[in-house]
Amino acid sequence: MNKTISRSIIMVCACLFFSACIKDTDFDQAEDIALTPVVELDLIYFNLNANQFYDSINSNPILTVTDTTEIKFLDDSTLQESLKRAEFYFKFTNSIPRSFQVDFQFLSEANDTTYVAGTSVSEGMPTAPVITEYIENVEGDDILSLTQAHKVVVTVTIPSSNENLEGTLNLKSKTTYFLEY
Amino acid sequence: MRNLFTYILSLVGFLAISQNKQILYGFDDIPQSLMLNPGSKVTQQKHYGIPLLSQIHFNGGSSGVSVYDIFKDGNDNINGRITQKLFEMKHTDFFTATQQLELLNFGWRAKNDIYFSGGIYQEFDFIVYFPKDLAILAWEGNRDYLDYPFNLGEISTTGDFMTVYHFGLNKQISDKLTVGARLKLYSSMFSYRSVNNTGTFITRLGDNDSENIYEHIVQNADVSVQTSGYASLRDLDGASQVTNEILGRAFFGGNIGVGLDLGFTYDINEAWTLTASALDVGAIFHSKDVESYRAHGTYTLDGINLIFPALNEGDSTLPYYDNLEDEIEREIPIDTLHNSYTQFRPTKLNAGLSFGFGRFNSAGDCDCLNMGGGKLHKQNVGLQFYAMFRPKGAQMAGTLFYHRRITDYLSAKATYTVDPYSFSNVGLGVSTDIGKLNFYLAADNLIRYGNLAKAKSVSLQLGFNIIIDEE
Repeated sequence: MNKTISRSIIMVCACLFFSACIKDTDFDQAEDIALTPVVELDLIYFNLNANQFYDSINSNPILTVTDTTEIKFLDDSTLQESLKRAEFYFKFTNSIPRSFQVDFQFLSEANDTTYVAGTSVSEGMPTAPVITEYIENVEGDDILSLTQAHKVVVTVTIPSSNENLEGTLNLKSKTTYFLEY
Repeated sequence: MRNLFTYILSLVGFLAISQNKQILYGFDDIPQSLMLNPGSKVTQQKHYGIPLLSQIHFNGGSSGVSVYDIFKDGNDNINGRITQKLFEMKHTDFFTATQQLELLNFGWRAKNDIYFSGGIYQEFDFIVYFPKDLAILAWEGNRDYLDYPFNLGEISTTGDFMTVYHFGLNKQISDKLTVGARLKLYSSMFSYRSVNNTGTFITRLGDNDSENIYEHIVQNADVSVQTSGYASLRDLDGASQVTNEILGRAFFGGNIGVGLDLGFTYDINEAWTLTASALDVGAIFHSKDVESYRAHGTYTLDGINLIFPALNEGDSTLPYYDNLEDEIEREIPIDTLHNSYTQFRPTKLNAGLSFGFGRFNSAGDCDCLNMGGGKLHKQNVGLQFYAMFRPKGAQMAGTLFYHRRITDYLSAKATYTVDPYSFSNVGLGVSTDIGKLNFYLAADNLIRYGNLAKAKSVSLQLGFNIIIDEE
């Protein structure tokens, strides 16, 4: 009697132990796992004074000002593979009574142009600043060009200038990165 | 034999997914029950564990999610399931894995009736709490979480790889009371921990006075990782060198610690017995090969501020980006420290109350299984309690058990356990003596063995001993 019980217990244990399995699962689905974070990140900002468009020493107007910054994070192999779409948002607040042309030239490390974008900014008044919003959406093949960029050159052009010009041109900007890992 | 061993290892490796050995606790027929309560009743005169095979223990668990939850066959999208689980799980949910391998285990009853036992085992123990906020940030990004403070303090994880040398005493000091103690020396081979972290990360929409559209704020961050036995591995070349270096520390080559196990068995009356033990009350003192990293500070990122400097031909532009990187490193510096630190072992508590009935006397006049003189019951039922102290509080479990001595060579114990993983954990252990050779196997979550993918935890112990009952 005892032997029967003990044998059956061992059998049950052995069966349970050796029949342990994993089922109703599909591990191939692992390939479908996709992280799709949407990241909001500040980009550049500036405050250009009207007097930066006039050389008071030589009494000459300066019609174009330019500045460059590295944006090393774009030129990164992980980002190149995972970036699906980038949406740049630029918000200009202009209190200078002139319109502007603002251009963004993206350059590779070897200074080859990889991507360009630009917009015109509406004329404002010192007492009543005018807001110009500009959205640049980059996707598809353009992503590849954009992610080759190592730096960006910002050029601000004013049609005319004089020593009495007042006001500021302010830029705030951010980028929304649509990623997929 | 080699194939069999490989098979067993791969099988158990597969199961390897905590430390509660509810089946083995109080299972006095198995010498390794002394490791769970040094004050348990010892029924044998001597025992020798078969080297490397006397106890193989694996335990793994995940309190919030099972493999099936994520990988089940279905028409719904796997990413949808992950998203759902991500929000269901709490930051106190954890993933844990423990593995122990006994290299040596032996014991003998001396003339003064003290049962001495000792041995060496290797232990790997790992736990990581689910850093929910960071998981959400990685999974969804910050766009839909403006103004939400992501908690960096949810990062909490520890891992240890060590050899334990132990020696214990066990003695029945009265008709009712058996007590025991075990001294342990820990030889840590590798250890890391990242606990007690603080800080938040917020992306906030700026107002008119803000420099830029957003403010990305890291507030009061203090995140640290302590390691011991890691710095010297970094310069090594290849897996074999690393393995050799780590194994070389097994014999007190690394950092040393000391600990104590205490326990007792008290027979309240003929039928009722109370047992309790505290294991690994101790600490490891990390002083050699210690390296810690600490990042702390507060910083607000606004983006890059262009100032359009008047440059002459040939002047280089301002290094805005490098300056920004320098500024972040200055405000939230990552320090590398070499301070010694003391790490307390995760102490485990066990307690049991059992009711025994039916006299077990297998061999007529000579009750060979019971040289200690107390009565062995044929059947026992009772309750057990288990607690283990982890970084974010104790992990607790309650167990109902039934233990039966079936014949003089076979006994079995069945358990039903409620723990952070599930309410349906049924376990079974058997101990069989074939001549002097004892073999035992204990596994829990049997209901899930039909489909292990649905199990949130699996625990398994098995081993071989030689038990000598006569003097």
